[in-house]
Amino acid sequence: MSAISPEDRAAMRESFARLLASDHTEARMRATTASPAGFDRSLWGKVGEMGLLAVLVAEENGGLGAGMREMGELFEEAGKALYTAPLLESAVIATSLLALSADAEARARLLSAMAAGETIAIPALTGDSGTWDAAGVAVEAAGDLLSGHAAYVNHAASADVLLVAAREGAGVALYEVAPATDGVTLTPQPANDPSLRLSRINFEGAAARRIEGADAAVIRAALDRGRVAQAGEQAGGSRHVLDMTVAYMLGRYQFGRPIGSYQALKHMAADLLVEVESALSAARHAAAAMDDGSADAVQLVSLAGFACADAYVEVTAQAIQMHGGIAYTTEYPLHLYWRRARSLAQMLGSSGAFCEQYLGEWEKAA
Amino acid sequence: MTGAATQATATNDVEREVRAWLAANWDADKRCEKGTDKLDAKGWLTRVRDAGYAVPTWSPEWFGRDFSSAEARLVDKAFREVRAPGTGQDRSNLGAVTVYKQGSDELKAAHLPGMLLGMRGCLLYSEPSAGSDLAGVRTRAERNGDEFVVNGQKIWTSSAREADYGMLLARTDWDVPKHSGLTFFILPMRQPGVEIRPLNQITGESEFNEVFLTDARVPAANIVGREHGGWQVLQTALAYERLIMGEGASQRGGTKVSRVPEVIAVARKTGRIGDPAMRQRIAQQLAWRQLNELNMRRAKEEIRAQGSSSLMSLGKLAMSRIQHGEARLRSEMLGAEGLLDDAAHPEARDANFDSAKAYMNSIGGGTDQIQRNIISERILGLPREQEADRTIPFRDVKSG
Ligand SMILES: Cc1cc2nc3c(=O)[nH]c(=O)nc-3n(C[C@H](O)[C@H](O)[C@H](O)COP(=O)(O)OP(=O)(O)OC[C@H]3O[C@@H](n4cnc5c(N)ncnc54)[C@H](O)[C@@H]3O)c2cc1C
Repeated sequence: MSAISPEDRAAMRESFARLLASDHTEARMRATTASPAGFDRSLWGKVGEMGLLAVLVAEENGGLGAGMREMGELFEEAGKALYTAPLLESAVIATSLLALSADAEARARLLSAMAAGETIAIPALTGDSGTWDAAGVAVEAAGDLLSGHAAYVNHAASADVLLVAAREGAGVALYEVAPATDGVTLTPQPANDPSLRLSRINFEGAAARRIEGADAAVIRAALDRGRVAQAGEQAGGSRHVLDMTVAYMLGRYQFGRPIGSYQALKHMAADLLVEVESALSAARHAAAAMDDGSADAVQLVSLAGFACADAYVEVTAQAIQMHGGIAYTTEYPLHLYWRRARSLAQMLGSSGAFCEQYLGEWEKAA
Repeated sequence: MTGAATQATATNDVEREVRAWLAANWDADKRCEKGTDKLDAKGWLTRVRDAGYAVPTWSPEWFGRDFSSAEARLVDKAFREVRAPGTGQDRSNLGAVTVYKQGSDELKAAHLPGMLLGMRGCLLYSEPSAGSDLAGVRTRAERNGDEFVVNGQKIWTSSAREADYGMLLARTDWDVPKHSGLTFFILPMRQPGVEIRPLNQITGESEFNEVFLTDARVPAANIVGREHGGWQVLQTALAYERLIMGEGASQRGGTKVSRVPEVIAVARKTGRIGDPAMRQRIAQQLAWRQLNELNMRRAKEEIRAQGSSSLMSLGKLAMSRIQHGEARLRSEMLGAEGLLDDAAHPEARDANFDSAKAYMNSIGGGTDQIQRNIISERILGLPREQEADRTIPFRDVKSG
């Protein structure tokens, strides 16, 4: 049960939306996206002051003790405004890794600083294969020394702390690593989506601290929270791109009338609305199922995993077509959403894998 | 006490009340009224109606209980548990809903009591030259004292042969633009001026018909809404019809509902469940169906919170890809067996049937294209389709 009432949730969403409208205008978004870190530290601080980084942190660690319902709605707003920063990485996945672990010391030391926006923790959970499952982990732990590599680690260069999945015998465990530790090398991985700051990290006998009680199940649960947050971003981004497209269709005239009066485009827009609303339903119901610990939570998370990813890719891809040449220019912001949609569709697992998992859940139930 | 807690208490009370009522009145084993041996349908429906369970969300003045839709769902659930018929007519009984929403008190008093007791209706809307463009109907109704005389032809009329009454859209004024000269009537079907010819459908059924109206009579008192105000009444009736279709009740009679989705059952039977490419498509089909259900759940929450939800308009369109897609996938998995069509091959027969029946959703009640027009115009606010005949007197409209 969430410690936050629906009214408070709505108020929080509202203030986040207002903050983004004032401090994350398109011009600011473009400037910060082009900066080396890829995000604005002072805005990150304000986001922290609002309590948004504390949503998933328990009250005893200085957080709000709220859940994915709240986080999901905030991500809808982030999606609309293309606000990325390490929100997914630090405030959702890393926070959840620690919160779900059995390591009270690490929680006490890290979570309140993360919730306040002072410490950024970045998860490094998969190798070059990018499967984001136990089989994809490519780091070995020997005692408290790590060797191997992690890939597609977003915002690694901004990390104060890395949380690294490593093989440990037959299982997988989690280690805390300071980025400046000897034997840790970051190599940037240039990405198509300008909002990303990916790195490949090499570990050569790097000293690490084991996080107690953070096994493969905990890592997976933390990733699932990331997936649900991401589904919120995908749904919110889809909604915004459709709204943008409809507005453009009303203002752009060809053959003496708005292009929005042409049935070919109207019908595309109607179909996209089905995608947008379905994505929103999938994201919200997955979040609720997760918070409530419902029996169908895994099924709904996997459904959101592909339905929201596919919807965002479809909506942004069609939106470019519906705009025409203007959307083929970098000045027009649509391509940024489209790139984000394409990159999110590969982040934390692929649609194909979620489809497989989803059908597996159906097979169990029937 | 918080609002949510009050509501929870109220819903528990409803559930308890309905269960007790059913226990006292319904024999679940014999499936008839307690103390009898055979179902007297009309007698049972009368009891349900008079207890307020036929249309629980309606006002007490008109057989209802002022229940919320959540409470009505509890009534529904209790009735389903003991397989008792008669509730939920505030959603499913199109004729009664239209009269309740749009009719005068006199009309309600005259028709609702009977309509809630199993009278059957049919929809006399489509004509040979007016399908999607329903405002173009040419069936004429002319006043003659206290009644109207009706002449014209309707087509695709489902269940016309079984119907007691028809919901008739007819033209009463030819000198005004097409939307303004229509009137909506409740036409008694069992009369000499109504001739019905069945049509054979691609499903193998023949549930729809041509209906020829030759000097058929309808009392002026049977007008729903205003004379010449039929277009508005039709909008209410169509909205309900589409709502029902959007929830996608099974279209195939007789097959019992199973917990295993048919795409999975067929995939298991044919061994295609192990085919990775096929598994992706099966998952996609299941997802479309579940997403529609989640949309409808969210719609109900929105309706509870703010009175309406635009999500409701998406269900029927979404249902088309669900029904066409599932039927096609099942056919494909069956392979050559899908060529066969007899009782020894029920999966093949069902897949063949459903492949045809899916068009009922994508054509009937307004085609997918018309649904897309409606969604883009009424929800997204895009410009209306240009209509060459929208503003001219109907008399001058071309047809073909
Ligand atoms: C199983 C079934 C049961 C039915 N039961 C009933 C019933 O009980 N009572 C009743 O009155 N009717 C009934 N109908 C009729 C149904 O409502 C009509 O068939 C439907 O509205 C389409 O009309 P039409 O067949 O004349 O096609 P048309 O309107 O001629 O359409 C032909 C094609 O043109 C397209 N089209 C038409 N106008 C436009 C436009 N403005 N923009 C884009 N595309 C357009 C349509 O989408 C379609 O693809 C039933 C139909 C079916 C299939």
